[in-house]
This record gives sequence, structure tokens and C-alpha cells, in this order.
Amino acid sequence: MEDLLRILNEVKPGVDFTKEDDLIESGILDSLSIIQLVTKISDEFDVEITPLDLVPENFKSAETIYEMIQNAED
Amino acid sequence: MTYASYLYFFAFVVIVYAVYLMVPLKYRWLVLLAAGYTFYAALNGILTAFLLVTTVSTYLCGKKIGSLQDSFNAKKKDLSKDEKKQFKAVITKRKKLFVGLAVLVNLGILVVLKYYNFFAEQVTSIINLLGIDGKMPLLKLMLPLGISYYTLQAIGYIVDLYRGKYKPEQNLAKLALFLSFFPQMTEGPIGRYNELAPQLVEGHHYSNENFTGGVTLMLWGFFKKLVISDRASFMANSIFNDYTSYSGTVIVVAAILYTIQLYTDFSGCIDIMSGSAKIFGINLAENFRQPFFSRSVAEFWRRWHITLGTWFKDYVFYPVSLSSPFMKLSKGAQKHLNKFFASLIPSAAALLVVWMGTGLWHGASNKYIVYGLYYFILILLGMLFEPVAVKFFEKSHINRKGAFWSGFSMVRTTVLVGFGMMLFRANYVTDFFDMVFRVFTNVNFGDLVSENMYSLGTDKHDFFVIIIGVAIMFIVAFLKEKGRNVLKSVAAGSIPLKWSVMIGLIMAIIVFGAYGPDYGVVDTIYAQF
Repeated sequence: MEDLLRILNEVKPGVDFTKEDDLIESGILDSLSIIQLVTKISDEFDVEITPLDLVPENFKSAETIYEMIQNAED
Repeated sequence: MTYASYLYFFAFVVIVYAVYLMVPLKYRWLVLLAAGYTFYAALNGILTAFLLVTTVSTYLCGKKIGSLQDSFNAKKKDLSKDEKKQFKAVITKRKKLFVGLAVLVNLGILVVLKYYNFFAEQVTSIINLLGIDGKMPLLKLMLPLGISYYTLQAIGYIVDLYRGKYKPEQNLAKLALFLSFFPQMTEGPIGRYNELAPQLVEGHHYSNENFTGGVTLMLWGFFKKLVISDRASFMANSIFNDYTSYSGTVIVVAAILYTIQLYTDFSGCIDIMSGSAKIFGINLAENFRQPFFSRSVAEFWRRWHITLGTWFKDYVFYPVSLSSPFMKLSKGAQKHLNKFFASLIPSAAALLVVWMGTGLWHGASNKYIVYGLYYFILILLGMLFEPVAVKFFEKSHINRKGAFWSGFSMVRTTVLVGFGMMLFRANYVTDFFDMVFRVFTNVNFGDLVSENMYSLGTDKHDFFVIIIGVAIMFIVAFLKEKGRNVLKSVAAGSIPLKWSVMIGLIMAIIVFGAYGPDYGVVDTIYAQF
């Protein structure tokens, strides 16, 4: 989770990702930042994120993103 | 299109709905299918064959993709991890083959019918430039109505099947209905199978709320189209078709009028279509969300023609960005560039593909390519200057989300969109650049009060009606932005309120509808795409 929080802060500095619980609705993450995030996640966690994973529910919070990574690892 | 066509459409909806209610619940979807094909064949004749080809090819490829997925699911339990991986790769390859086939057939039809002549002209001019005397023949091609919309729906369905989002439709007629629901045949919105198909197939009982809600939305759409859009179009057309005779100030007025015309035309027609679907208890996807309240051009495109934007995001931007060449580009950029450019370049490259596609989707001409590039450049500039903007707000202590900066950003976005509209309406790209030059070099405010200005098809009274109409629209949009949906409140309100609003709208349409001598109504702009 710490690695993920570090990546999130690299993509969007200045956001407290431990507290934000609707990153899409609040406009913190848009499609461009999602792609930057996914590229970094694929690289660091060595997982394959597919376009099917790119749904708003997976990017609501740091926790949902972490769950998506864990599912991709399985 | 004539004013009477809208009356025919309204009558068609009423008749279809009456038949729909007479048929047993279980078979009501068949009424919608018959209505869709009757509507489409009446407008398109023999070209309906293209819709049938799309439907059958999508159905067959979809079924095959589904059976491949089923065979994988059935066998995977008995396989080891490595065997499962290998088998998955084989199945994925076969699934890709059928996705490719469906996309090739359907996109192929669209590309040939819509872009062949444009392509032929480009090839001819290139070979002529090289000094070779030759000509690629032009063909007389007819474009079936709504092909740019139903083709995207079909491709979305097949790609989602490949991604395993849902199971394929086993009933050809039900898939045919998804691709031919009559309210969305001409201008969208581009529907998603999992959201739209279940609503279409399920039989709906009569609901007072749906009926009044649908009729109110239709009347609101007619008001936008017939009272505002068509009225604004007369003057916008006069000026754009002969812009060299006017000062830059008049061209600005034409650009504002055209922006009003296009928005009220497209969103008005979507309201008419969404309202007619609502009568049947079917909710079409939202296509506009108060776009002129956007603080950036990127946000504008998330609120304008939403279903096209999300289609390009899900089926072009994401797959392109996550494809192996782009991932390699991204990794290469991370190695050789600083953090900012390393993340910017792959996104910019994927965005370029999206905006070229969006531009070309609107039509086969250089103008639409430049139109796509215009928005690509604006969005790219926004990304490039974001770090500068962050520092600016830190140092100046201006609240970026505060009322002042939000208001300024909305005006700035509207101005940039206005120039985009000028390009969209210009007859040629060179006309656009010439007009922009005139806007900045040939200013004459005196033209605004000149009598000549009001003899171009839109007189002072028309301006007054447009201003009142736009003010009403602004209030409705502002309240919606604040979470209050006026139209819904009216439909759910007391009987006197409902009737007074509906009668008010009908009266406004009859009295102020901008129909000409032959009761002609201006053709809807987005139907030609």
C-alpha cells in the first residue's frame, strides 16, 4: 500500500490519498492521470491492467486501486 | 426537413406507443423493433441493408466470442496454472480474430462509404503534386442515416464481449433492436448494450410519470430547436457564407449565434429523442451536462456529446494507451526524460490518436482533421502549462476553485469553444484563419447598431426572442448545475403546474417557432454525421 501511495503522490502531488474516498467524482483523477497511474502500477507491481479494469469503481480511492492490483496479481 | 416532419414524428411516437400498450408485456419489444425498422426504412430505403449487415455480422461474431469464452471457462478448472495460461492465450487469440473480423466489416463499411472519396481526392492531389498525370476515381456513395452512431454501438458491444464484460445476445432480433431503437437512430446518443438492451427488451407498463416526463422533455427539445436554433441559423448562415463582406465584429456575432444554433440544435434533438424514449419507460444515456459551465476545454468535452467522448475514451484512448507500443514508449520516456515529460509524452501521443479520430468522425474533410487538432493542441497546452499554473496559484494566493477564477475559466473556455465553432462552421480551413484574422484586425462596433446587420434573416425581434430563449435555458442549466432539475420537478409537480408549463411551451413553439414560408425547418446538423 505504501508503494501505491507513493505512486499516487507522484501522479497527483499534494493530495492526501489516505482520506480521499471519491477520486473520480471529485475530479482528482481524470482519464489522463489514470493512464499515468496505470503505467506506473504495471511497471512497479509487474501486473497487467487491462482496459476492462479502467472503470470508475476501481479508482474511487487508494484502497479500491489496491484491490484492483491484488486481483490483477491473482 | 419540414415543420410537419416533427409533427409526423410526434404522431409516430404516439401511434407506436398506443400499439406498444395494446400488445402483451412479453412481446412489447417486438413493437419497438418493428417501429425501428419502419422508421429507418422509410428514411433510408434500400440502404437499410447496411444496418442488416452490421446487425448480422455483429451477432455472429459476438456468439462466436461467447462460445470461445464458455469453452475456456468450462475447461480451466481442470488445468494447471501453466496450462491455463497457455489455453487462455490460444482462446484470446481466437477471440481477437472474431473481434477483428467484426470491426473490419463494420468499420470497413463506414470508412468506405464515408471516407473513400476524401481519400481518393487526397491521393489524386499527391500524385499530381509529384508531376504524375492521373486520377483516382470518385464514387457515388450514399451514406446510410445514423451509420456513424450504430456502427460505434456495434463495435462497443463486440469489444466489451471480448473483454468479458457480459455474455453475448443469443437472440438476433433482440440485438437488432439494440442497434435500431428508433429515437436514437439519427443522432444518438451512442448507447451501451448492458445499459440499454435490458430496458428495450423488458416490457414497460404505462406510467404517468414517464409519459408526462417524456412529453415535457420533447417539448423542451422542440422549443430549443424550433424557437432558438432555427432562428439563430438564418443570420449565422448569411454571414458565414459571405464573411468577406463583414467586419470582424459581425463575424464574432455570427460565431456566437452559430454556437447557440449548434448547441440548441443538437441538445434539442437529443431532448426530443430522449423524451420520446422516456414515454416508453426507456432512459437513454445523458449526452449533455451543461457544457458551458466547463472550466477547461477538456471538461467541456466531458460535458458535450458525452457518449461520443466516453466511447473514444473506452474503445480508443484506454486500449491505445495500454497497448504494448505505447507502454514501450512510456517506459522509454521514463528512462530518458524527466518525470513531467515522461508522463506527458505517452498521454499526448494517445490523445493525438483520439482527437484525430474525433475530428474525422465528424466528416471526411481536412477541416474536421484541423478541428480535432485544434482541441488536441488546446488540451496539450493545458497539460504543458499545468506546473506553471500550480506555481501561479501558490504564489498569487488566488483560489483556483473560488467563484472569481471559476467564472473567468468558464468565460475563457466558452471563447475557445467559440473559435472551435467558427472552424466547425467555416466552409474551408483557410476561411477560418481568414475570419480569425478579421476578428482581431477589423473591429467595428458601429456594425452592431447598423440596420444592415438586422436584415440578414434574423431581425431585432428575432434577437430579442433568442436572448429571452437563451436566458431561460441559462436559468434551467444553472439550477441543474446546482442540483435542481426543473424539467423533472415540473413532470412530477401538480397538475396545474404541469399543464401550464406544457401549454406555455406549446404556445411558445407555435407562436415563436422560426418556420419559414414553406414551413421549412433547418436540417439537424448532427444527423449528417
